[in-house]
Amino acid sequence: MTKTTYKVTGEVPFDIYQPGETFEAELDPELEERALERGSIEVVGGRTRKKEEVTDA
Amino acid sequence: MPKRVALKDSFMVDTSDLSNLCRAVSADFSDEQVDVSGFSATGVNEYLPGPRTQTVTVTFYGAYGVGETHAVLYPLYKNRTTTVIKWRADQTAVVSATNPELRGNAKLFSYAPGSTRGDTDTYDVTFTAIDSAGFDWFIT
Repeated sequence: MTKTTYKVTGEVPFDIYQPGETFEAELDPELEERALERGSIEVVGGRTRKKEEVTDA
Repeated sequence: MPKRVALKDSFMVDTSDLSNLCRAVSADFSDEQVDVSGFSATGVNEYLPGPRTQTVTVTFYGAYGVGETHAVLYPLYKNRTTTVIKWRADQTAVVSATNPELRGNAKLFSYAPGSTRGDTDTYDVTFTAIDSAGFDWFIT
């Protein structure tokens, strides 16, 4: 499983990363979905969400 | 750790750092006190610890921006989601024996924001430990 690049888009830090900061991580799929849903983070590079990726595969 | 004034606490919910959006944290660990008293000359009750309940209650500022208080907490309540909470005394220092971190899996069994004219918008949220691991203090 490869790491995904994310950007912190919310108003508060995500983990140890500040708003606007970019980071690479392997997030738990459900945690990632919630964080994307509420706008805390976004995937950099336009990757679709993991659940959709599974559907497409 | 010497005496301290609480200023630099860190509180994280679902990996979001809500430290700056909360102003009070209170942990409550309590065991049910089970009466196992029998007849005795003194008549004093005898107890054993029963089921343990662990909660952490946090006073949050009402904030409705992207990824802020409401955006993080309400979905956890609405969807009955299990999440991880983390609290430590000093956010500027790593977790250690002198800066332990309380962690555990939690759920929100209630969610009750509100507001009063002219007052700072704050409300209390209680996180309840929901598995056998419970909340515990970690030093790494």
